[in-house]
Amino acid sequence: MSNNEKLLIDVGSTYFKVSTPGKIEQHFRDFNKDILDDLMSKCDNSISRFNKEDVFICSSANGGLSTLIIGITNSFSLKYATNIAFNAGINIIDTILYQDIQDASIPSDLIDVVIIVGGINSLGNIFSEELYNYLSKIQYSNIVFAGSEKDAALIQNNIEHLITLPNIIDSKLHIVEDHLREYLTNLYQKDIEGKRDIKNLYSITANQIYPTPYIVNKTLPLINARFSVANPFILLDIGGATTDIHYSKDLVDENIVTENQYDRMVFKKLGVYKSKQSLIFTAKNNEFVYELLMHLKVTENIFLEQSEKATKILMQLAIFLVLCKMSHYRQAYINLKLLAINSIVLTGGITKVLLKEDVEDIVSFFYRKILTSDHNPTTIMDTNYDIWTLAAEDN
Amino acid sequence: MKVVTGVVGNDIHVVANRLIDLSLQARGFEVFNLGVNTYLEEFFDAAVETGAEVLLISSLNGEAEGWGREVKLLKARYKNLDELIMMIGGNLTVGSGNAEDIVPKYKGYGFDLVCHQVDLNTGLDQLEEFIAQRKTQ
Repeated sequence: MSNNEKLLIDVGSTYFKVSTPGKIEQHFRDFNKDILDDLMSKCDNSISRFNKEDVFICSSANGGLSTLIIGITNSFSLKYATNIAFNAGINIIDTILYQDIQDASIPSDLIDVVIIVGGINSLGNIFSEELYNYLSKIQYSNIVFAGSEKDAALIQNNIEHLITLPNIIDSKLHIVEDHLREYLTNLYQKDIEGKRDIKNLYSITANQIYPTPYIVNKTLPLINARFSVANPFILLDIGGATTDIHYSKDLVDENIVTENQYDRMVFKKLGVYKSKQSLIFTAKNNEFVYELLMHLKVTENIFLEQSEKATKILMQLAIFLVLCKMSHYRQAYINLKLLAINSIVLTGGITKVLLKEDVEDIVSFFYRKILTSDHNPTTIMDTNYDIWTLAAEDN
Repeated sequence: MKVVTGVVGNDIHVVANRLIDLSLQARGFEVFNLGVNTYLEEFFDAAVETGAEVLLISSLNGEAEGWGREVKLLKARYKNLDELIMMIGGNLTVGSGNAEDIVPKYKGYGFDLVCHQVDLNTGLDQLEEFIAQRKTQ
């Protein structure tokens, strides 16, 4: 069967998209309805034309797994585990530096997975009672240890239902990502399948439902098939709830050496619909935002408006804030070399609202004001959701 | 004995770094080489992850001068690094300077051993002597 005969569906936190050989439809989700009912009420004609074998669905609608990582340093165990978790498609990551665990706050929500990491295999006695005391106060569904081999048996004896995986740090302090990444990917997959809303979608597809970030990351090596993108590049997917950033590995000088060409990171609570209030809060705390608003010829009253113009300004702000978050040392868990970026690719709903010129305006404002540079990477707008369909078709 | 080593700051003098790595290994040390362009925090973090007893920082372009001032402050944030032997070597100043001025300055920054323009093997002899002394204390 040719690729042209596939039906592709992406269920996001705010919109869903349906791609048939002839067209791509985008619909705002009705949150009072089950996803399947909502889909069928809006796209029944398109969906019913296809066999279950030809329907391919990806979803980021359930927000993914919430993760708590306990590690012993920021530069190695915490950084490596965060990198692995982001690349496994996880959005919500909190970290605790083990030496500060006694003062760490106790999360009130149920955590989907706790990851304990730290130390090379020849180092022992890293973790002690403080870890077990902390774990006894929090609620979690899964717990995994991927640290020093020497500590594994002791930790296994002290923590019920613990899964032990090979260490994510080798004897040369390099990252070993395969085992933890596979574990988290499978857990994410099970989580997606376990959600009632998503489970119902299997009545229209015979194929596995994948997390959207996994699909997008798979597209990046193929991106030049549809766009003229100059490496190194970043891809910004500013969604309703979170912002996903996929970036060429050439943009980091970090100590993480893997075979991935592209990595992913997420800014949670930075979105233009579900996370709108959080976005506005972040904006108000950024000293350059008022200058940006002036540049865009609006005042902060725009935050109170519910208009098309307000949405547009909010999206422009989101681009600026994401770039800001990546530009300051240690704001993200890694630092990107923003002056080395040759292309910025934008995908998602933002491309339906903003024009290329609107984005270019913000990007050049950012480089001028924050990095005091005339550097001007080219902007590429994925207006037709090619990034998503490319990998979904290839799947 | 475990040693973490690397070149601090925006310094890419990789040949010296490699020589230090090989010389340490030849003397029986287990070496964790972080390479060039290493942030100070990465050195301390590597010592925590490996349980290293020695941290040997090298610098050739004088950048250590700036980074050195941060050592005490940063090390104080770690709860288990009090016994870590701190050593620095290379060309430790921008332009010219003499060891009489430079060594006390770096000791004030928190280094136990300071080797400004000292031959590598002489420096490593000093390290071994220091370790032997520490063991007898």
